[in-house]
Amino acid sequence: MSTTVEVPVVKPVVPARRTKFLTNLWKVLRRKPSRMIGAFIVALFVVMGVIGPWLYPDNLPKSADLLAGPSLSHLLGTDFEGADVLAELVIGSRYVLTAAAVAALVTVVVGVAVGLYAGYRRGRPDSALMRITDFVLTIPGFPLLLVLTTVWKFDSALQMGLVLGLTGWGGLARSVRSQTLSLRERGFVEAARGLGLSTPHIVSRELLPNIAPYVAMNLLIGVTTFIYSQVGLFYLGVLPYNSTNWGVMIQLAVNNGVTQTGAGLSYLMAPLVAILLLTLGVVLLVDAMDEVFNPRLRED
Amino acid sequence: MTTATESSTVDERTSPGVRIRDLTVAYRTPAGELPAVSGINLDLAPGSITGLVGESGSGKSTMALAMLNAVQQPGRITGGAIEIDGLGDVLSLSPKQIRAVRGGSIGYVFQAAQNSLNPLKTVGKQLLDLGRSHGVEDRRALVRQARELLSRMGLSGERVLDSYQHELSGGMRQRVGIMLALVLNAHVLVLDEPTTALDMISQANILSIISDVHAERGLTTLVVTHDIGVVAEVADRVAVMYGGRLVEQGPTVDVLRTPSHPYTKGLITAIPRLTGDPDVARPLPGRPPTLGTIPRKGCVFRERCAVYAAGAREDCETLDPPAHDVGGGRLVACHAVEGEQ
Amino acid sequence: MSGEIEGVGIVKTYQARGDVLKGQAVQALRGVDFRIPAGGAASFIGESGCGKTTLGRILAGLETYDSGQLRVDGVDLSALRPRKREPYFRRIQMIHQDPYSALNPTRTVDAILTDPLTLRAKQTGRPKSWIAERQREVLSLVGLEPDYVLPRYPHQLSGGMRQRVVIARALTVDPDALVADEAVSMIDVSLRLGILKLLRELRETVGVSVLFITHDVATARYIGSDGELYVIYRGQIIEHGPTETVIADPVHPYTQCLLSAIPVLHGLERPGPDRLVPTEPLADSQSDTGCLFAARCPFVTDRCRTERPELGHDGGTGQEHACFHPERRHVVAVSA
Repeated sequence: MSTTVEVPVVKPVVPARRTKFLTNLWKVLRRKPSRMIGAFIVALFVVMGVIGPWLYPDNLPKSADLLAGPSLSHLLGTDFEGADVLAELVIGSRYVLTAAAVAALVTVVVGVAVGLYAGYRRGRPDSALMRITDFVLTIPGFPLLLVLTTVWKFDSALQMGLVLGLTGWGGLARSVRSQTLSLRERGFVEAARGLGLSTPHIVSRELLPNIAPYVAMNLLIGVTTFIYSQVGLFYLGVLPYNSTNWGVMIQLAVNNGVTQTGAGLSYLMAPLVAILLLTLGVVLLVDAMDEVFNPRLRED
Repeated sequence: MTTATESSTVDERTSPGVRIRDLTVAYRTPAGELPAVSGINLDLAPGSITGLVGESGSGKSTMALAMLNAVQQPGRITGGAIEIDGLGDVLSLSPKQIRAVRGGSIGYVFQAAQNSLNPLKTVGKQLLDLGRSHGVEDRRALVRQARELLSRMGLSGERVLDSYQHELSGGMRQRVGIMLALVLNAHVLVLDEPTTALDMISQANILSIISDVHAERGLTTLVVTHDIGVVAEVADRVAVMYGGRLVEQGPTVDVLRTPSHPYTKGLITAIPRLTGDPDVARPLPGRPPTLGTIPRKGCVFRERCAVYAAGAREDCETLDPPAHDVGGGRLVACHAVEGEQ
Repeated sequence: MSGEIEGVGIVKTYQARGDVLKGQAVQALRGVDFRIPAGGAASFIGESGCGKTTLGRILAGLETYDSGQLRVDGVDLSALRPRKREPYFRRIQMIHQDPYSALNPTRTVDAILTDPLTLRAKQTGRPKSWIAERQREVLSLVGLEPDYVLPRYPHQLSGGMRQRVVIARALTVDPDALVADEAVSMIDVSLRLGILKLLRELRETVGVSVLFITHDVATARYIGSDGELYVIYRGQIIEHGPTETVIADPVHPYTQCLLSAIPVLHGLERPGPDRLVPTEPLADSQSDTGCLFAARCPFVTDRCRTERPELGHDGGTGQEHACFHPERRHVVAVSA
């Protein structure tokens, strides 16, 4: 065996000045095509949720064509009242996405705050916070929501999101706490204490950036998890009837015999495929999170 | 304590010689394939202990892995041969053959042995795993051999075999590593940083054990380390690596007494000493190269070289210095040294 | 110059975890005394687990101690309330062993230095413009080029450079003392002396005292050949004196074992005339009765097993030891 290795000319590494977050994000996304696809899908749904409903009137026109399949005038067919499925999908996305985003945000904010503080301070604050966390973890989220719906109609996506979020932060708090426990032993955290830097500084500037990839991933995946929770609730018919909601769409499709007769299949499939597509987008995008927040991986 | 100058009485028929010829290992990076080890020529005489000395980025750890043809992706061996008496060229063996060779003919002791022991299994179980994967049928003989080796190293074989990795101290784990490397009667032993994470006294004891075991079993040993002290205590010959190249090799005592290559000189001078004027020790300017910053043309050491700084030579900039025989079993790769001859 | 540090009878005991009913105590420090003059140097050597790291952490304020007195500039810290102790501990800064984990990987050197400097500016009533100036000052004190290092992240710097940044960061709070715990053991051999030289120079340029904790005696000697050497075994100081004296003429068998274990650079050096073969502690439990080293000592007698020797003077040399049968032995290598 005798092959020579051609040593290419290596350009001297010119360090960048502190690049902006968005520039970084773009660079990281461009590195793998799968991430671009993921970002595109997520962006598409965000646009759909924000702008979509404005493109349609409040009351969708009903046609005589009930449970029809895809056609040129109705790209995804019609529902059991003859309304356009695509329109319903777009309108319904706003509630679902908003609620899921709010829930994910609440989970992350509360979970990370509790986990960081408990893990860093230890001792009595830690025990107290962990007791509360255990309580939240033990609450069976789903049955609780079912019970709550008897007294509270979740009209706005915000309310839905809040409740979902407040019941779901337990797991994140625990795992952030254990990461914090090991991080605080690292030299730079001890050094920060020795230099007299304040606890808020240490928690927000030393600890938080080091768990940022984990938090970002949780945020994104949390969105998909909460979409499932909602859809489940709406499908069970537990929550208010609102025909332009994905979960309700699935419920109504089944109730109108789509699974038995096969008519109006696109009415059933549309929301399901939408959820699947969004999950796919999130999963592909999550891959970029580690690199975005970790300078070590961002070498050019 | 055995010193490096004592010769070992060894039956040369059982100790194999090792000849490394023109070995090159490259790593795939975003900037292309870069060589971590370049054109290494090294002979390990039968029954000798050779110390391979280098800092980070010198390629010494890659060299150690290459001996077992165990260089992992993104690295690969791109050229050269490693011939071992009785085995042929290790680099051209089939996967099945190489698996038998690892452990069976070449024993490898990993750096920081605590990372190479399975934390969930007792030492004894891992020993049996080793035996099974090498098709050893007589398990009792294997365990007996292991106990003998362990007691030879001052441990209670019974107790150690029943222990988990975390129940043993650093020095004990290192001994277990050595036992596992030799229990299948390998005759070539490669040790990667055998004394890292051990304190001075444990280190001295392990080095003593390595010397003794080497002599008793008639091994040919390669010790890879960054610590010249380790080499001085245990090796007959020393080979110095820098930037993937072998810059100097020769009998340990001679190289330490009168180093030839500017890097070897600088390295020895940069060691703080226990006697004499402390300021005799001088730091070496610059820093060791990384894979991406190794100069691609000319001598890899010139940026830190005192001789080059005193008077830049054209051949240092354009030609990679070849290994030059300077007599007494010593080879030096330096244009300035060659010029003086 | 201010900043004399003195410790008297420092005791630290850890409660070993495990059995809820039968907690076993581990005595990390059994009453150690030491003194580091302002701008001076002191080295603590010993095997792993001897308590030297614990001592370093106590001095830097990262661990508490159970009893004894720790005095900085004559002020007994144990007499102060925890809040009042902080400013004193800030005057003693720790240089960790691992230069990578000692720097936040998500922050640039600029940010890493700005944080403590902002605090310092506030404390000393200086304007914001001072911060950038002082940044450059401390970086040049440690031999780094500010324009090169400031925008970089830790992983973009070599181990030696990172350790220099760590030292620069410690200097931002104008400390009186630096505690260097194995500060060069994770750095390449050819770069170690550079850092050691820096620490030695800082004693003169800035007036800090250096407390060097290591198992590598030669590095301790380089930094503090004019200082004191303390040898710790299982939480007790068993020998101390001027560095050069203890290295050349150790009196306690443990010191002799430790120094004998140092590799000899054959060709350049010869083994010392009295060099010993050191014994290793392979058994887990070691007895606490009598001399702590009795189980491993090559010169042990019956008295050693029952009575524990106290640290005492050898008479006329400034060297103290804790041994019933002290004898000078020259064990370290001599020039060939």
